[in-house]
Amino acid sequence: MSTARASETRAAWLFISPWVLGFLVFTLYPLIYTGYLSLTDYDVINDPSFVGLDNYHQLVQDPKVRLALTNTFIFAVLSVPTQLVLSFLLALLLNRAGRASGFFRTAFFLPKMTPAVAIGVLLLLLFNGQNGLVNTFLGWFGINGPAWTTDPNWIKPGLVMMSLWTVGASVVILLAALRSVPQELYDASRIDGAGFWRQTRHITIPMVSSAIFFIVIIDTIAAFQSFTEAYTAYFGSGNSTYSNDAALFYAIYLFQQAFRFLHMGYASAMSMLLFVIIMAVTAIQIRVSRGSVYYESEQA
Amino acid sequence: MRPSPLRLALPLAVAALVTSGCAQGTADSSSGADTSYDAGATLSGDLTVMGFGATDEIGSVRLAEAKKALGDKVTVKTVEGDLDIQQFLTSVAAGDPPEIVYADRDQIGTFASRGAIIPLDDCIDGENIDTSVFRKPALDQVTFDDKIYGIPEFNVVQIIQANADLLDKAGLTVEDVNGHDWDAVSAANKKLAVTENGKLKVIGFDSKLPEFLPLWVHANGGRLISEDGRTAQLDSPEVVQALEWAVSIYDDQGGFSTVKAFRDSTDFFGEGNQFATDSLGAMPMEQWYVNVLNDVTPDVNMAFDTVRDKQGEPIAFASGSAWAIPKGSKNPEAACRFARAMTATDSWVKAAEKRVSLREKDGGIFTGVLTGNVEADEKIRAMIEPGDDETWNDAIEATYEANDHTFALPANPAGSEFQTAWQDGVNRVLNGQQSPQEAMAQAQKEAQKALDEAWAEWDG
Amino acid sequence: MTSTDTPAPRVPTLAVAPAAPVEEPRGRPPAPARPKLARIVIWALLAVLTVAFVYPFVWLVSASFKPRSEVFDNKLIPDHFTFDNYLSIWHEAPMGLWLMNSVFVTVLATVTVTISSACVAWGFAHFRFKGRDALFGVVLATMMIPGAVTMIPVYLIWDSLGMTGTLTPLWAGNLFGSAFYIFLLRQFFLGLPRELFEAAKLDGANNWQMFTKIALPLTKPALVVTALFEFQASWTDLMKPLIYLRDSDTFTVPRGLKTLLDQFGFGGEWHWELIVTASVITTLPMIVIFFLGQRQFIDGIATTGNKG
Repeated sequence: MSTARASETRAAWLFISPWVLGFLVFTLYPLIYTGYLSLTDYDVINDPSFVGLDNYHQLVQDPKVRLALTNTFIFAVLSVPTQLVLSFLLALLLNRAGRASGFFRTAFFLPKMTPAVAIGVLLLLLFNGQNGLVNTFLGWFGINGPAWTTDPNWIKPGLVMMSLWTVGASVVILLAALRSVPQELYDASRIDGAGFWRQTRHITIPMVSSAIFFIVIIDTIAAFQSFTEAYTAYFGSGNSTYSNDAALFYAIYLFQQAFRFLHMGYASAMSMLLFVIIMAVTAIQIRVSRGSVYYESEQA
Repeated sequence: MRPSPLRLALPLAVAALVTSGCAQGTADSSSGADTSYDAGATLSGDLTVMGFGATDEIGSVRLAEAKKALGDKVTVKTVEGDLDIQQFLTSVAAGDPPEIVYADRDQIGTFASRGAIIPLDDCIDGENIDTSVFRKPALDQVTFDDKIYGIPEFNVVQIIQANADLLDKAGLTVEDVNGHDWDAVSAANKKLAVTENGKLKVIGFDSKLPEFLPLWVHANGGRLISEDGRTAQLDSPEVVQALEWAVSIYDDQGGFSTVKAFRDSTDFFGEGNQFATDSLGAMPMEQWYVNVLNDVTPDVNMAFDTVRDKQGEPIAFASGSAWAIPKGSKNPEAACRFARAMTATDSWVKAAEKRVSLREKDGGIFTGVLTGNVEADEKIRAMIEPGDDETWNDAIEATYEANDHTFALPANPAGSEFQTAWQDGVNRVLNGQQSPQEAMAQAQKEAQKALDEAWAEWDG
Repeated sequence: MTSTDTPAPRVPTLAVAPAAPVEEPRGRPPAPARPKLARIVIWALLAVLTVAFVYPFVWLVSASFKPRSEVFDNKLIPDHFTFDNYLSIWHEAPMGLWLMNSVFVTVLATVTVTISSACVAWGFAHFRFKGRDALFGVVLATMMIPGAVTMIPVYLIWDSLGMTGTLTPLWAGNLFGSAFYIFLLRQFFLGLPRELFEAAKLDGANNWQMFTKIALPLTKPALVVTALFEFQASWTDLMKPLIYLRDSDTFTVPRGLKTLLDQFGFGGEWHWELIVTASVITTLPMIVIFFLGQRQFIDGIATTGNKG
């Protein structure tokens, strides 16, 4: 029996060996190396020179780090809940759309296919304060739309609205979750005289809570790393010198430090900080959700 | 989890290999004794050119000349597209750089200070390059710590380009918008700008922020940075005043965002350009735009002048490119000769002749070429035949006058950070987040910190 | 090491030992008749939202057929219909070459990540061994690590291997599988009845045969989902090409698009019509792929189940 056990273990390790190798080379080692680089002064051309905690001292005092973190937090706080609410609403609607739901879900999924670079460009076009589509639309209702792409107060709302456009994937996940809620639960509660809202509150939301929780975690991680759309729209044009620091997300500042100013050591320290922050936020989310996420306890 | 030690050994060995690979092997620098530059020598080998695209006859004719100068034994390969700094520096770090790079002149200081490119003194001596023919501001831009690191070419300057019809209608002349009197420009701007039901219909004057702040600062008798490239002067009164005025030009038309949104939505390179559609009074603009206008809307009624400083003297902010040899270049001799041939007076003249003949075929006018080489500029200017249309003659006149009155920011080791600092500052004002005074005080702090660090590293 | 700008949707559970997914009949059992009004409201809402989601696309396509001066006129039918934008893009940029590079990278990234992730997922799903669950916990934890954290050292690894400037770093990391897909595929493998394998064992099948002959064919929808997700992630990635590619001949479409933005951005003045057109060209292949794969794609997710 023990030899069988040993051979099974061997076979298993053989199958998972690609991941183990990849983990060591592309995850664990880079993580350690970034940790080391964050303690050095390094500009790509010359060897790293050890400077101790110097980069971290600077990090704490750098107003741009604070600005970028604030921007990123605000974006996450605005975008994650709105994305969740919209995708939940869409999923509920699709769940009741009957036979045409295939068509609708296709429509909602299409934007997910647009390259992020193109989305960055679209944002500038659609939200142009003078002739943009969004302000033209608002104009029909007599609303004088804001300068979405230049006014620092409106930059992030614009980016959040644009991010809503790509919730298709979350919609599909939630739809799958909704479909696996046993019909008997609804039937039973209808006998008790529960209406649509009560059913949603007491049956639907608890039953799909693990999916909701999952989407919140994934979207949060994504929000903390958002780069492409904002970079393309507000930092990415080589010859344009216009930029807007309301769109300076952490990942963008990190990119500038690493590849424009060649402060690789500093950028590594920034990376470590981001890693710690995401870990902390995720841990808090898991802690908070513990009481409210419903799992069917099952053994594989 | 108890994997057998043997199984972990392989990945760890890979990781160890990788680690040792990451210990940066700095390529042996070829600027040493084994390099001898000699104008008479026969050269061989490969020459990879990064960052240069021969997109027109001015590029392709000179490229042919350079290949001729190198002879058959040298294989020239051009990697098209703009020079990507991160790519270039990485290739240097990895010991596999291109043999020669074509970069913006304002990047040269940063490259030099990081040891990414080599000083060209030996190259200049060996290939007998006459540096006295280059325009001084251009040469200053590529001189770092008293050594020349780049061979300059091209000069880009700005002139005032204005819609003559709109000026006439408002009872103004181009003198009112050439900048010698800022109050006059502000007044003209208010007269020219048209807003209907809250929508901007005509931009009066465009002061072209953020990019042209240096122009207004110098016109105001100030500087962004000291002559030696060590001290930022972004919070000096001249700078703040220039910024205040340039921003007020936008504020008088409903704010920068209104102007920018309108500007972003016009057909800049086509028949619907701002001058042809009477939606812009005047702006300072690079000289190449004259060619665009002459091509797509030759009948547009324009007025041109140089930008003037407060004393009424012509002034322009020069930029351009330069040839530089990376550290670790495998063929510095060929790189040096290539740079010489590309920037030689004869090559420029041949390229200009080709353009003249092409323009004649198209029925367009030849507006000259600004080469960064004084000798070549004079010879090419002599080739220009005044046309029947005074408008374009004025444009050419203004361009060459501006070319004789240029300034440039001195080379410094924190180029991109310095630039980011002042541009961010201007953008904060444009976005309504700070007053010019506050923004420039912050920019000064950021820029000086970056300069101090970069210089300390260089001097250290 | 997948290039996900935005993490693709994942199986909504965080339990390490998830339930076997249940193949469910397509569509819901007919719902009890609801009042007509409610149904009308639902349809109206859906219609409005659909327009909101699809319109920017339509706008984009329509703008790409307009001359520059009309790009902003917001008319659905261009006043002056023109193909010039498409023609000038093909002239201004090696768009064909970029498309080829994108296809090359995307196909390799997709194939490698699908195979390697399936392999690893099978290892975690089929075998019992010491420390399995702890190790799988580490797999899940790697999903939390932002790409930005490992960006620089990974870059140096490729640099030391002399691979920067080539297309290799854009896909080769996928040879080692990706946590998200491992998780997804493991769910599917767990759902296969064990009896199948017991029977195969008696017939003398080895582990590899069981994997290739039984497990893979039965989990085709999941493999399709994995492939589609990776296709999308890889096709739209900008970060990696921005960092690794040197020569415009090696550019992928998003990286090339970025170059066009730089090139036509003289002093902040943009060639809008070309930008719009380039965006359409980039997006179109994705739509085609989506239409081809959407059925398995969506149903594949739907059948992974979400019981944790």
